[in-house]
Amino acid sequence: MTGRSVSPNELGALVLVVERDPNVRELESFFLNEAGFTVDFAEDGETALAMIRTRRPAIVVTEIMVPKLDGLALCRRIKEDTAISDTVVLVFSILAAHGRAREAGADAFLMKPLAERRLVHTVRELLVRREATQPRSQSGQE
Amino acid sequence: MMNARLHDDARDPSDDVDFPRISTGNPQADAILAGGFPSNSVNIVMGQPGTGKTIFAEQLLFHNARLGGGRPLLYLTTLSEPMSKVVSYAQRLGFFDVDQIGTRVLYDDLGTELSASGPAVLVPRVLESIKRLSPSIIVIDSFKAVHDLSDSNTGMRRIVSELAGVLSAYDVTAFLLGEYTQENIESYPEFAVADSIVQLERNALGARDERYFRVLKLRGSGYSEGQHAFRITGNGLQIFPRLVTPDFTSYTPTLERTQSGIEGLDAIIGGGLWRGSTTLMIGPTGSGKSTMGLQFALQAVKEHEPALFVNFQENPAQVDRMVRSLGTDPARAEREGFYHLYTSPVELQIDSVIGDIFNFIETRGVRRVVIDAVGDLMTAASDPQRLHDFLYSLVQHFVVRNVTTVLNLEAAAGFTSPNDREQRWSYMSDNVLVLGRTDNAAASRTLRVVKTRNSEHDAVAHALEIRGDGVHIL
Repeated sequence: MTGRSVSPNELGALVLVVERDPNVRELESFFLNEAGFTVDFAEDGETALAMIRTRRPAIVVTEIMVPKLDGLALCRRIKEDTAISDTVVLVFSILAAHGRAREAGADAFLMKPLAERRLVHTVRELLVRREATQPRSQSGQE
Repeated sequence: MMNARLHDDARDPSDDVDFPRISTGNPQADAILAGGFPSNSVNIVMGQPGTGKTIFAEQLLFHNARLGGGRPLLYLTTLSEPMSKVVSYAQRLGFFDVDQIGTRVLYDDLGTELSASGPAVLVPRVLESIKRLSPSIIVIDSFKAVHDLSDSNTGMRRIVSELAGVLSAYDVTAFLLGEYTQENIESYPEFAVADSIVQLERNALGARDERYFRVLKLRGSGYSEGQHAFRITGNGLQIFPRLVTPDFTSYTPTLERTQSGIEGLDAIIGGGLWRGSTTLMIGPTGSGKSTMGLQFALQAVKEHEPALFVNFQENPAQVDRMVRSLGTDPARAEREGFYHLYTSPVELQIDSVIGDIFNFIETRGVRRVVIDAVGDLMTAASDPQRLHDFLYSLVQHFVVRNVTTVLNLEAAAGFTSPNDREQRWSYMSDNVLVLGRTDNAAASRTLRVVKTRNSEHDAVAHALEIRGDGVHIL
């Protein structure tokens, strides 16, 4: 699988949520599903990295504080790997780590708690911008 | 640049770790809480039945509903009071706005579900409410009633942990109300997860109650410690924040003397009382304290300065008569800035009186205050040390505002020099005037200057006469 299989403007774009807290997972899943996205989960950074390579989500929404490979390290690994470096990364954390997220190459940062309008708006905007900045052939829209 | 644009998005509060505050709708409570409750926090409002928890929470809810913001505010009743009763009583309060009900302020009753299924139903119901309604504030009244449904501490601990997890995951501020006691704080798991704890107390004192608002915990923030008196009014809680000693760094004392308006007094105290000074007048009944205090206040009005006469014995009609006997028309005096604050000694709550005095000073530009008499405050006070601390702070506030003050203190008949109780008052005063009265056929009265700070005075007893136009010192 080489290109993206979804368009941000289509219903069902895949969002990979990397989150250990079951309450946050449940609420993120509910609100992102309501907004028309398909949601998948990983509880730690290593699992998330494997899923990104195989499932090619349109966007990764990751907490910093996740086991095995933290959210910032995960972000760096994504951005260093040319096969997946076009994956959009939104760091969504309880930590006020705006600057560190930027240094790690994240496309955006949001601080918890979860406010669904802000989260959904940011995810949508990131995907729209990603599509606008990438050649159509790379976004799987042939 | 997608990266930079979203990182720099002004709507993103990611750099803001100083969480916004939720106003209580009560400016005094907000001041005590250093601006209000932190948003996205779990807060406990505890107190015995009838202490005002529900009113406090509803005042907060309706205030935030008026502020707007788009998301609803949710009030969940459990097994303490039925929802219908809570709403019914709320309608009688000034802050209640029927137009907000069902749109911005939503009430829901969990009582039936809790009775049928036990406390475990709470977390799924809160989660479902968050998904369905996206509330920005949730009040659970009473959470203690939910706790009491639990048959095991372990089970309740699990429920509290799950609830705290849900509430901290989502952008919502929660208030758990309950009839908790001080002992519950150490053993009930909800207190461990609470970001703040506010206690409302009610203590019976004779025929009346004293109510206190107290912050026991406010995570990550300073707050005003101690007991803050309050009363429940038709518009919610009226709180009187505890006075603390003011900051003196910006204080500039004046070298100006005020005229007392009492014939002969200024001459024996160095030319008048220093502006911003405090004078204690001690004497038995009938020695002339009230008359002198009134003359001192009315003299300010003659000099076009507002003055406040605080008393607890003579009602307004009686004070009007006293003013008239001193040759001043009471109505005109009032128009020109003579304020009379009367509180019946039966209803006396020292915190509210001191709060009212302070409010007068702040809002009316009062330059002289007479308190006739501090002994009445002492009689009403359940805690003399607290009263003393309060009055000390109040006097210091007068000092930094250059308000000149006279405190009258009743002494026993045959009084000659201050006892221990009276000494405490004299320490905080710049001047101490001792009034005497002998009950012989001539009923002679005297005034002696015991202390004048930064002034010369003689130590002899001067004759004091009460004439038609007031007191004269000979």
